[in-house]
Amino acid sequence: MRTRLLAAVAATVLLAGLAGCEGDASSPPSTALPSAATPAPGPTAAAPDNSCNPRASLRPSGALPPPGRMPPNSFMAKIQQRGRLILGTSQDTLLFSSRNPITGKVEGFDVDMARQIAAAIFGDPDKIQIRVIPRAKRVDLTRDGTVDIVVSTMTANCARWKDVNFSTIYYEAGQKVLVSSKSPAKEIEDLGGRRVCAANGSTSLTNIGKVASNPPPVAVAMASFGDCLVAFQRNEVEAISTDDAILAGMAAQDPYARVIGRKFTKEPYGMAMSADHPEFTRFVNAVLDRSRANGTWTATYQKWLRALGPAPTPPAAQYR
Amino acid sequence: MVTRPAPGSQLPAGGTARRGPLRRLADLRSTSPGRLRLWLGTLVALGLLTGLVAGVTGASARAGTADLGGRAQPLLVEAEAIYSALADADATATQAFLAGGLEPAKLTDRYDEDLKRATTALTSAARRTPEDSAAGVAVRNLSAGIPEYADLVATARAENRQGLPVGASYLAAASRFNRDTLLPQAQALFAGARGEVDGGFRSAASTGWVVLLAGSLVVLLVALVATQRYLSRSTRRTFNVPLLAATGVTLVLALAAGGLLIAQSVHLHRADRQGATPVAVIAEGRILALRIRGDEALTLAARGSDPEPEKRLTAAAAQLERERGPLHNAWSTLDPALGQVMDRAATGFADYQDLHKQVRAKDDGGDYEGAVKLAVDPATATVFEGVRQSLDDALTDRKQVFTHEIGAAGSGLALFAVAGPVLALIVCFLAFAGLRPRLEEYR
Repeated sequence: MRTRLLAAVAATVLLAGLAGCEGDASSPPSTALPSAATPAPGPTAAAPDNSCNPRASLRPSGALPPPGRMPPNSFMAKIQQRGRLILGTSQDTLLFSSRNPITGKVEGFDVDMARQIAAAIFGDPDKIQIRVIPRAKRVDLTRDGTVDIVVSTMTANCARWKDVNFSTIYYEAGQKVLVSSKSPAKEIEDLGGRRVCAANGSTSLTNIGKVASNPPPVAVAMASFGDCLVAFQRNEVEAISTDDAILAGMAAQDPYARVIGRKFTKEPYGMAMSADHPEFTRFVNAVLDRSRANGTWTATYQKWLRALGPAPTPPAAQYR
Repeated sequence: MVTRPAPGSQLPAGGTARRGPLRRLADLRSTSPGRLRLWLGTLVALGLLTGLVAGVTGASARAGTADLGGRAQPLLVEAEAIYSALADADATATQAFLAGGLEPAKLTDRYDEDLKRATTALTSAARRTPEDSAAGVAVRNLSAGIPEYADLVATARAENRQGLPVGASYLAAASRFNRDTLLPQAQALFAGARGEVDGGFRSAASTGWVVLLAGSLVVLLVALVATQRYLSRSTRRTFNVPLLAATGVTLVLALAAGGLLIAQSVHLHRADRQGATPVAVIAEGRILALRIRGDEALTLAARGSDPEPEKRLTAAAAQLERERGPLHNAWSTLDPALGQVMDRAATGFADYQDLHKQVRAKDDGGDYEGAVKLAVDPATATVFEGVRQSLDDALTDRKQVFTHEIGAAGSGLALFAVAGPVLALIVCFLAFAGLRPRLEEYR
């Protein structure tokens, strides 16, 4: 009994000590901020393929058809006939699309955005089939029609535009880095030579290799960001680098992790669809326009992403 | 050996001594007492040789049979226990995850039970494997790997309990670790144990020694008969009673050796055909069935992101249901009761396959929730448990047959290892007793 009490006291002292260390560590960032702002700004680290404007999508053609009455011969009519919209997403990105361990259902901001598409087609947001797909296969499975639409924290960029269509931008993210709360690192550049994890097939993984530090961080690829968090907690990697929004979901699951530094890339999220059905892209863009205008986007943001701060203005639609 | 002077030849051999053994031998053949001494030496030497070989054969067959029953077969059973417990732990953990919410206590208990079974079997398997053998390496890797696996699952549970989705990632990592690292090691241990059982059958049969024993017995008998023929021709007596007795004792020895070794061989053969081989095949079937159940859950857990488990499942089901495979085999020819048990397993598995097809149809048709519900439904679990139970029963039954046959194969061999040499010594003594009076006549 006494030993247990002693242990408790010792633990309290230890925790107080840790808290003290954290207090010390959190004061310098104010001095570090200017130096972090001086090196080359984020966009240089972005994909070199600037042959297009990845934010510009296809313009909606007129008003939305009423739910349940899709124009004949359109891809939406095909989906309507099938009876469900097939969504490709992940199940381990907390806040955006993750499996709720209590209910077993996949839910989040991305899933609710996709439900708005289902609602526009069927008048019922639940007529949706969720398929969890690996990040590395998001483009392939969209192209071959395995899924109708991918809504999965997916960056719209020119390289991917060559294979699939993207909707207008529905979320603006940027890459940051997550480290242990004890790490002295303040920016991704401080992690030169260290093992930094990202999901295979994500833009985040390519971006890690482009970080201007000598030596560059060692990029470690995992099948999913959930696997990255497991590797981080098992000390197999020192940091995880991906979009701030995904990192926020990880930090929420691990009190000993923190997200550091500036956004060193811009990652505009779009919904990916097959390029064979441009009418579907136009339809989705019309749904997104309506969502931005009638407050659905803001409500969805507040439902899932409140932890990231108050809802900003939705990203403005850009068209070709 | 034949040239060595036997007890009876200690009498001075005339003036021809000290001129080289070959020459001495040739000299012996030229006189009647010399010839008698030669016969006596041959008989005693053959008797001693036969006794030695009988002792070694008995000891070798006994040790081989004991090793088979006391080490190789238990190792096979333990290797199978480790293999199936790990496969079951993976299937159970994934099932519990699929069910959603807090893990059902029944599944948690079952997982704990699986791990306990695996570690207990591993501890005794470690005692039965030489450290530097392939099986020993597998045991070491498993000893290091199982705690790591348990650690991953424990973390997954803790995260799950707090409602954190990273728990699912931990579970996926645990499952990968189980399948990619632990199961191959368990499979290697199982294969190694099968090899040891096969080797055990060979060393228990001690074929080399048995052939040598048969050979020396035949030569001894021929020598005894030939000696008696020589005596009845060269003397007026038709029968030499001690030599007749020696022939009788040799025949008894030959009959005992033949009887015991033939019985051993029959029991060994039966232990192999009705015990060890069915155990290995049924064990393979049980492991396949468990992996199928695990793969079904994995396909659902991956939500369509991974087609591999379903492909593995189809391949495993084909292997399980193949002709002359684990489920469809001539089991009833071994034992009608076993045939009934295995028929139950086969029907049960066919029922389970139907349910699995329904699960797949639901999932592929977009009804994920329905598919999960059917897969973890108690009724589905009952069907699968029935298959598992039948296979368990069949395994227990065959293990008993094996243990029984090995016990029967080993019986009498220890006695023979002692009695064989004693009988052979009696033959030597009788030969001496039979020839000595004839030699005395030449004094």
